[in-house]
Amino acid sequence: MMPHLADGFTSPTFEYQLLAPMLIVFGGAIVGVLVEAFTPRGPRRTVQVALGLVTLVVAFVVLLAVTRPKLGDLAASGTVAIDGPAVFFQGTILVLALLSFLLFVERGVDSAGDAFTPSGATIPGSASERELVAARVSQTEVWPLALFSVGGMMLFVASNDLLTFFVALEVMSLPLYLLVGLARRRRLLSQEAALKYFLLGSFSSAFLLFGSAFLFGYSGSISFTGIYDSLSSGVGLDPLLLIGTGMVAIGLFFKVGAVPFHSWVPDVYQGAPTPVTAFMAAATKVAAFGAMLRIFYVALGDYDWNWRPMFWVVTILTIVVGSILAITQTDIKRMLAYSSVAQAGFILTGVTAASDSGLSSTMFYLVAYGFATIGAFALVTLVRDGTSEATHLSRWAGLGRRSPIIAAVLSLFLLSFAGIPLTSGFIGKFLVFEAAVNGGATPLVIVGAIFSAVAAFFYVRVIVLMYFSDPPDDAPSLALPGAATTLAVAVCAAGTVALGVVPGPVIDLAQEAAAFIR
Amino acid sequence: MNDFPVLSILGLLPFAAAVVVGFLPHGRELLAKQIALVVSLVMLALTVAMAISFEPNAAEPFQFVEKTPWIEQFGISYALGVDGIALVLIAMAVSLGPVVILAGWNDADDNERHRPQTYFALLLALLGTIVFVFAATDLFLFYVAFEVMLIPVYFLIGMFGRGQRTYAAVKFLLYSLFGGLLLLAALIGLYVVSARELGTGTFDWTLLAGMPIDPDTQKILFAGFFFAFAVKAPMVPVHTWLPDAAASATPATSTLLVGVLDKVATFAMLRMVIPIFPDASEWAAPFVVTLAVISIVYGALVAIGQTDMYRLIAYTSVSHFGFIILGIFAFTEIGGSGSVVYMVAHGLSTAALFLVAGFLVKRRGSSLIPSFGGVQRVAPLLAGFFLVAGLSSLAMPGLASFVGELTVLIGSYQRWPVAAVIAVIGIVLSSLYVLIMYQRVAQGPETENVKGMRDAVPREVVVFAPILALTLAVGIFPKPVFDVVNPAIERTYSFLQVAPVEPEVPVGDVTTDGAATDGEDS
Amino acid sequence: MNPIVPILFLGLLAFGFAAFSILAGSLSGPKRYSRVKLDAYECGIEPTPQPIGGGRFPVKYYLTAMLFILFDIEIVFLYPWAVAFDQLAIFGLIEMLLFILTLGVAYAYVWRRGGLEWD
Repeated sequence: MMPHLADGFTSPTFEYQLLAPMLIVFGGAIVGVLVEAFTPRGPRRTVQVALGLVTLVVAFVVLLAVTRPKLGDLAASGTVAIDGPAVFFQGTILVLALLSFLLFVERGVDSAGDAFTPSGATIPGSASERELVAARVSQTEVWPLALFSVGGMMLFVASNDLLTFFVALEVMSLPLYLLVGLARRRRLLSQEAALKYFLLGSFSSAFLLFGSAFLFGYSGSISFTGIYDSLSSGVGLDPLLLIGTGMVAIGLFFKVGAVPFHSWVPDVYQGAPTPVTAFMAAATKVAAFGAMLRIFYVALGDYDWNWRPMFWVVTILTIVVGSILAITQTDIKRMLAYSSVAQAGFILTGVTAASDSGLSSTMFYLVAYGFATIGAFALVTLVRDGTSEATHLSRWAGLGRRSPIIAAVLSLFLLSFAGIPLTSGFIGKFLVFEAAVNGGATPLVIVGAIFSAVAAFFYVRVIVLMYFSDPPDDAPSLALPGAATTLAVAVCAAGTVALGVVPGPVIDLAQEAAAFIR
Repeated sequence: MNDFPVLSILGLLPFAAAVVVGFLPHGRELLAKQIALVVSLVMLALTVAMAISFEPNAAEPFQFVEKTPWIEQFGISYALGVDGIALVLIAMAVSLGPVVILAGWNDADDNERHRPQTYFALLLALLGTIVFVFAATDLFLFYVAFEVMLIPVYFLIGMFGRGQRTYAAVKFLLYSLFGGLLLLAALIGLYVVSARELGTGTFDWTLLAGMPIDPDTQKILFAGFFFAFAVKAPMVPVHTWLPDAAASATPATSTLLVGVLDKVATFAMLRMVIPIFPDASEWAAPFVVTLAVISIVYGALVAIGQTDMYRLIAYTSVSHFGFIILGIFAFTEIGGSGSVVYMVAHGLSTAALFLVAGFLVKRRGSSLIPSFGGVQRVAPLLAGFFLVAGLSSLAMPGLASFVGELTVLIGSYQRWPVAAVIAVIGIVLSSLYVLIMYQRVAQGPETENVKGMRDAVPREVVVFAPILALTLAVGIFPKPVFDVVNPAIERTYSFLQVAPVEPEVPVGDVTTDGAATDGEDS
Repeated sequence: MNPIVPILFLGLLAFGFAAFSILAGSLSGPKRYSRVKLDAYECGIEPTPQPIGGGRFPVKYYLTAMLFILFDIEIVFLYPWAVAFDQLAIFGLIEMLLFILTLGVAYAYVWRRGGLEWD
């Protein structure tokens, strides 16, 4: 009765060795769910921690050993592209996720345990919550959720058609909505953040989906290759293409936190458990930019004369608004949130170049930014008022005398954000600016340079507070970081300095990888 | 000897020492100071050795060259080397090293917030970056050193300064960063242009100098470079960070900041702006010279009105930097060489003024001029130092500044007679501000304020003596400096289109601004 | 034949069945109305807020509803496979087993963690 189905039907192919890293991460997540189901409460957390870390490490090793030598192929019947940028971004995501997981593990800085509430379902302040706190229970679902999110990110940067693209976006985002709401301290703030993130996130997903539908309507194909081909043949439904491009861009601008789609960033970054904030700020941004680069460079690669003006406007807005609003912040997490908005603007400068050097410079910048971001948020967890983090900036006064090491390392990360030479941030800025000048976006670079100085003001202000001010009388206590946090911060600091002093190898890596396949 | 990486050692040694000194435990303050002093003396010895084996008339532009690829993808290398100008300035900076360390011996002792170890580590790190910034022949490396230099100064002002130290430190950093980031944008533009002109992009000075760049691009890039250096120099109207910084920093910091660090800007104008953007430099020269003259007169006038000694000295520097820039943009060899000599002289005289003022302020606990009076009666030696330092600043014949100022004026009169004539007003004013300050501080009857003030202690004499000796040496016998500097200046101006104005030309022939145009025709 | 025609036909059939059911029910059934029967039907919850408790209802309702939708969708995915299982051959079988296994894991989680217990 349905002859058209049988004709020329071939069963889909899967290149397992190319997909292996993603399959390992998803597999680890599923095993994690089983662990939740069948492991007794006592050893459950230990098992989850081990599973999470081992999964990421194994996935990273497999990525380098198995996938990387074979890159340059489309996999899973063309729905996934395992090319240089995909592998580079996947590796970056895995490393950043591993560093964030180290922060998830930490239970030394809060006297009650890790950064997560014992049970997200209990009412804040209720008797049942107190009972669980006393029993030192922890919400171990955090681990499989985070693994699912990592898997989604890895798929997001590799997806080569609109459907995979959207599914990956959701797999990445849904666990994050939950993770944001699981803070141990200030739970109402955390839940509010989760709700905001969820509502705005679904709204932006809807935009992205709607935009995808328009792109499909224009080209008659969901694959990026097909959209690219239809652009060159010029089918003549330009309004569809324009609307589709714009709406997809809105969805992605939301995810990277670009102005004017940034309003969720400060609230969510502030409310989320700080390790989750670090994870989101670093890994999610890498994934979102990876996907943005792919859809705009691959599917809409020959259409850049039409999307670049939009990027110009958004880039300038993001840099200007992010930098200026960051100056007015008094909470360090909100300040770092606005700083990440401004940083997104600098990264967009590289994206706007629409060239291979734009791609490689963006890749480098994301690595540099990821390290510094995780490091900075890790340090935020250490300065505490009684039980919760002392995030008000005035509480950080005089830290340089009380804890020279925390202050010095935080200064390093802030100087990197500000783009001072011999830190990774400077090389990143240099690369994206170079790409932008080469790509004919010199005015963007001038705006970027001027507002780098504005941005430097609020980074420097924190350094001023830490070193040049006297500590308050009731100075916050400083938690001694456990081994995990220490390791994470040390790696981030080493990465920030190494990428600033000898950036050659990573630039090489990024330049070699900077070729999308269609 | 030629393979010996003397410049790297000169630059990295203080960094290594800074790390050691910074991590010394409590109770080892004296050791920290001793290490800092010894390291600065070793640097001085190395510099002397370097100066002796330097050949002023060598064919190649740079000597003691080192070159290692750094970021090969962008043609960036770790390239060091010195010409005569850089050598003279490094020598000046390194000679001031032990002097400021001795002068700042007790600066951080009574600071309850921060340790002396940190103070000396930062001073050493600053000396290291200064060496790199003068020795870099790769523009990217120069930029890195140029920006990194800000960090130690920022902490030196903010941690160890006084009064509005935080405000001053942040203002200093933001002004410099603002200029620096525009410089970065221009530097990237230059790189992109070099990639178009030369095939592969580069930051190597030897390839960039004299590279053909179309005039319009040159003007834009020139603007970026010049703005950054004008902020740093500092020129009116972007000078306001300097008085604040100088008033808040310790005298040792101010000496390095005003005496040495700001010279980076004028050095870079000679090293980079003119050889790489010759057309734009000629195009902008009238504008630059106007600003320079405004700086000279404005700086001097404002200096007269100051009641704070440090601020006064800072404004005299604004005026003196005007002279230096006037000399550079005179595009005559005598003016150029004169400006280099003036850079050295200004470094020495500023050091003398800041440090002696620092001795006075330390005793009195205030830097306001009215809180002194009659110092001469209680501390004749100290007052004498102050007078000599002041005379050096107002360019007394026989002292280094006189040589610099005179040659700058001769050189610039040949090209910009009107500007030179106005600039002379600056000299007249300079005797006003110096002598008024000296009179109010040191002369007259002994006042209540200065009762029981101690005269100079041996350490202070040791600080002042070498500065005085160098000032006298350069003032009386400047030939060795000119010999070293002249070939480099000649090379610098060889990139310009304007024919050099011959020093022999009778003054009467060059009475109008047409001189420059005449030069172009020939 | 135009492929739209069977779809139209199916639509007509569905509409006809619905109409027939309502008609048959109203004709043949006994007519005993009560308050509950006259309420709007809403899958087991009170459709209008109650005066006490602000119209709260057990959160368990959502859990059950979502679990239902989850396994409902599993069945939907089995249909296309069932239509083409011979062309998909062993590959399809493995993929489908993996799919069911994944949902089985979720089911195990819900079961073990008490998601299926009403009280």
